[in-house]
Amino acid sequence: MLLTTSVGSLPKPEYLTTTRTKARKGEVDARVLRELEERSTREWIKTQEELGIDIVVDGEQYRGDMVAYFAEHLGGFKESELVRSYGNRYYRKPIIVGKITRPKPITVEWWQFAQQLTKQPVKGMLTGPYTIMDWSFNEHYPSRRAATLAIAQVIRDEARDLERAGAQYIQVDEPAISTRPDEMDLAIEALGIVTRGLRAKTITHICYGNFAAIGPKLHQLPVDQVDLEFANRNFELLEFFRGKRFPKEVGLGVVDVHDHRIESRDEVIKNLKKALKVLRPEQIYVDPDCGLKTRSPQEAVEKLRVVVEAARAVREQLLH
Amino acid sequence: MITTVVGNYPKVAEGAYSTKLIGAISKWQRKELTDAQLEAVYQEITRAVIQEQEAAGLDLLTDGQIRWEDLVTSLAKHLEGFEIDGLSRWFDNNVYYRRPILHRAPVRKRPILVETYRFAAGCTKRPVKAVLPGPYTFAQMSEDRHFKRLRPFALRLAEILNQEAIDLARAGAPLVQFDEPALGFGRPDMKLALEALGAATKGVKAKTAVYIYFGSLNGALEPLLTRAPVDLVGVDVVSDPKALGALKRLKVAKELALGCLDARNTKLESIKGLHEVFRAVRRLVPSDRLTVNPNCGLEFLPHPQALAKIRRLTEAVRTYPGASTY
Ligand SMILES: [Zn+2]
Repeated sequence: MLLTTSVGSLPKPEYLTTTRTKARKGEVDARVLRELEERSTREWIKTQEELGIDIVVDGEQYRGDMVAYFAEHLGGFKESELVRSYGNRYYRKPIIVGKITRPKPITVEWWQFAQQLTKQPVKGMLTGPYTIMDWSFNEHYPSRRAATLAIAQVIRDEARDLERAGAQYIQVDEPAISTRPDEMDLAIEALGIVTRGLRAKTITHICYGNFAAIGPKLHQLPVDQVDLEFANRNFELLEFFRGKRFPKEVGLGVVDVHDHRIESRDEVIKNLKKALKVLRPEQIYVDPDCGLKTRSPQEAVEKLRVVVEAARAVREQLLH
Repeated sequence: MITTVVGNYPKVAEGAYSTKLIGAISKWQRKELTDAQLEAVYQEITRAVIQEQEAAGLDLLTDGQIRWEDLVTSLAKHLEGFEIDGLSRWFDNNVYYRRPILHRAPVRKRPILVETYRFAAGCTKRPVKAVLPGPYTFAQMSEDRHFKRLRPFALRLAEILNQEAIDLARAGAPLVQFDEPALGFGRPDMKLALEALGAATKGVKAKTAVYIYFGSLNGALEPLLTRAPVDLVGVDVVSDPKALGALKRLKVAKELALGCLDARNTKLESIKGLHEVFRAVRRLVPSDRLTVNPNCGLEFLPHPQALAKIRRLTEAVRTYPGASTY
């Protein structure tokens, strides 16, 4: 019970970010970049093991944007010119220009690379079909629904391949699901295509949004575990679960990934105990609110350490 | 038929007027560029997007809102009483804006957009309209720690926007437009929205417009098209596929602006499809009271596709058999 994990991305060390920038400009060989991605993946696996995290991740050192990464490896997408996301920040938004295909497995090799480094289970990390659709332009499919369902097919193939390779946990992130509550049913349908028939434990992570609107359908998500951000909302989300027998496991985000401040162990223990008044101990997985990639490597390690130490302390108290 | 854009236009164009604004803003933030140097870049890009709209054949232009971070920050940061806070999602888009927090009664010390309006209008012989956030949307997208009630907040913002609109009209804006995307979400208080809009447009010596986009327009359409205290109502018939049908069942007492190209998707509309939409509204308003434009600002699109959309729009109007008055 109270198993610890993290949501997916971990910060890239400076040697990797500078090399990525150079590689984009063609100043560095792809092989050199790959070696550094492997090096930082190795370092993060070791760090997570040393911290005592139960279910580890590869840290996505080789990924940039969570949608663009899949779009780059799938057939049917092309990259756009720059569009603004906010302030002075711009990105290239994928455009669906043809039938979506998966020429070959995308994440399996990296998953295998990470898994052979550790005895702890490594979580397979995918971006969900609804989010890939919502964060792309669509020039090919007649509707948002048609595009989403087409993406679901290739993400399902990827999930199957991860399971076949040995993944016991497969997380399919759907952060966009909370943007348009009127499309929640579509997101649920597409996620169902991905998870149907999987024996691995399935998880979806949702963040940034109109939780009041999607809350009532949360139990319909076709996964074993729903992972949510609790810390940056002062654990107010717990109220939603109070008095319900929520039928799924809950990934409990206990540290805020957008804040430089490192939460204290006692504070996280207190919040975990609050959660235990509403949820059963074996139902709870403990992790940060979201991917830690926006924090510095040092901050990420310290936040993860608090997650592990607090979960461990509460676990001890429950056993004795 | 008049062709126009709703408001914003891509700030960068890799294949045209460059991406230099990105670097200029970061350098200015690091104090490596002076205010005057940044201003020169803003002017250069503004002039370029105006020339581009003109060359594409649009009748009524905007300054492209090149200086705007988002619809509300651009005003709120110049008003006393507001603090600009962290990022929040901009309606149902994967795009963020900075949420203004109101701590004290808001005060407008001086005109905010007039100077930049004058510059834009001076870049072209064609008419340039002025665009402002609508008071209802401005209030809804802010966090109100002062009034703690929507009505006094929206009405106070309406007074401020009214001063700005009067000044913009005085500076020569032939049309002052208020954007009210918040009316497409949840259950908007239409009574308050119309009252605030009335306060915002009062005594403005120019044509006035309200534009709604995103969401679903079920509750907002009828009150706006019959009773809004403006000359022109802009309706997005792309985001809500039911909007066009609903529109056809209403009596349109105002001039109508039809948002008929999808400015949130790169797929280019066909001329034939646009002609069908024009025909669908021909019984509602005579073509001399009809404006056509994309459904919302063009900044959601990369530059080549944004330009393709306005070119397609003017081409569709040029080739429309019913556009005799054009
Ligand atoms: Zn997240």
